[in-house]
Amino acid sequence: MEFSWLSDPFYQSYLLEGFINTLLLVIVSAAGGLALAITLALARLKGPRPLAWCIHGFTTVMRGTPLLVQLFFFYYGVGRLLEGIPGIQESLIWPVLRDPFFYGALTFILSVGAYSGEVIRGALISVPPGEREAGRAFGMSPTQVFFRLWLPRAIQLCLPTLTGEMILLLKSIPLVSTIAMMDLLQAANIIRDEMFLVYEPLMLIAGIYLAMTVVLTLVLRQVEQRFPGMRPTRGRRLIPGRA
Amino acid sequence: MTSSPNANTAPDTSSSPGATPASAIARPVEARHIVKRFGDLEVLRDVSLQVDEGSVTSIIGASGSGKSTLLRCLNLLERPVQGELTIADEAILFDRNRQGDIIGLDRRQLQRLRARVSMVFQQFNLWPHFTVLGNITEAPMRVQKLSRKHAIRRADHYLERVGMADKRDSYPAFLSGGQQQRVAIARALAMEPRVLLFDEPTSALDPERVSEVLSVIRSLADEGRTMVMVTHEMAFAREVSDQVVFLDQGVVGVAGTPQEVFDNSPNERCRRFVSPAA
Repeated sequence: MEFSWLSDPFYQSYLLEGFINTLLLVIVSAAGGLALAITLALARLKGPRPLAWCIHGFTTVMRGTPLLVQLFFFYYGVGRLLEGIPGIQESLIWPVLRDPFFYGALTFILSVGAYSGEVIRGALISVPPGEREAGRAFGMSPTQVFFRLWLPRAIQLCLPTLTGEMILLLKSIPLVSTIAMMDLLQAANIIRDEMFLVYEPLMLIAGIYLAMTVVLTLVLRQVEQRFPGMRPTRGRRLIPGRA
Repeated sequence: MTSSPNANTAPDTSSSPGATPASAIARPVEARHIVKRFGDLEVLRDVSLQVDEGSVTSIIGASGSGKSTLLRCLNLLERPVQGELTIADEAILFDRNRQGDIIGLDRRQLQRLRARVSMVFQQFNLWPHFTVLGNITEAPMRVQKLSRKHAIRRADHYLERVGMADKRDSYPAFLSGGQQQRVAIARALAMEPRVLLFDEPTSALDPERVSEVLSVIRSLADEGRTMVMVTHEMAFAREVSDQVVFLDQGVVGVAGTPQEVFDNSPNERCRRFVSPAA
């Protein structure tokens, strides 16, 4: 086992950059993706029919095609198309549009939106409608009913599934190394090439991913436990130890 | 449970439920010629209902007679197709098409009126992700814009009133059905409504839990609150009601005092409904 490269400041900076990029990409994709998922789920349930059909089509395409293909499609396809727009290379947003981070985030946001959107839609459906009706009956506005009653209950119902989705997202991030983004895998690959090593850098980033997954799981478990009201059917007393 | 002598005095009586209406003819609820259809099914066919201040009205009738639908029309959880509705002295402004059918209504008026007409549901419909206290403070804080402190004070008062003060920090799933329904009643009371609506409040309860809820409702009746109740508890309806309405296939079969409806109704179907053995 050869780990001398760990003390090389040059490689340390690669690894640090890769770690920060990976973390940033997860946070941006999770936040944007979940916001999109909630919007899509609500629009599919309550929006006009044609909109619901469009979302259904979008979801089918996003869930039916490989993530790597989508990433290439946005980076090489859409990215190259944008490049050709006259004047765009001089515009202020060009640094963003040129950055692989942008295409990675875009792809992951759309992907999380499609997968988690279906999860959240199912959860929204399974909240007993009487709970929303009670909100309306007391004069709450549709917005209040959604954000105070309906959505929190749906999230509560699907939180374990969403945790799984977020772990899958985290572990999809290395795909961006294929579009020249400096993530953890890219950093490891550089070290592997330059040090003529096969396993050691991979073992390091595998360990880092495992640690990140454990932290993510622990954090989301804390969130789950913030909902102590989550118990079986209403009207039934919970007997401790016999749920 | 017995009601304490000052039970009707909320710590904050900005609008006491027993207040005299501004106009002498104003009624808390006045429904005229209500028609409600679900698709081709006509559930209510020309139903009129008047509820006097401080009175208890019970709506009885067979399943499918339209009782719950009528009650739900009173806070517009169901929108009637035709008719006029005055709730808490305010006529509902319906949008109508050229045939006079109701096609919409004013959202802001709707939300304002619903805050004055509180409903207790058959299935309680408590919000499981809030504590008992959170269930009761939610609507006063969000709809009536009460401060948290004020809303909690009100909630504690009404929890005391229904005998659930010791459960204020529990979650609904940890309560029995009867306890949940009493919390739901406290939630309705905390809006300090002009009218309380009860939609079969004891139908989802175990038989041994029914009496604890009925005794709370009885004590509210004794306070002189205006209430409209859909119920299958005939003995209870007879005991607490000032007015009983027998609905039959979407029309009012008989309406009158409990004696008129239960003892010597001219309506054959009503007689058979209230005493099937006879």
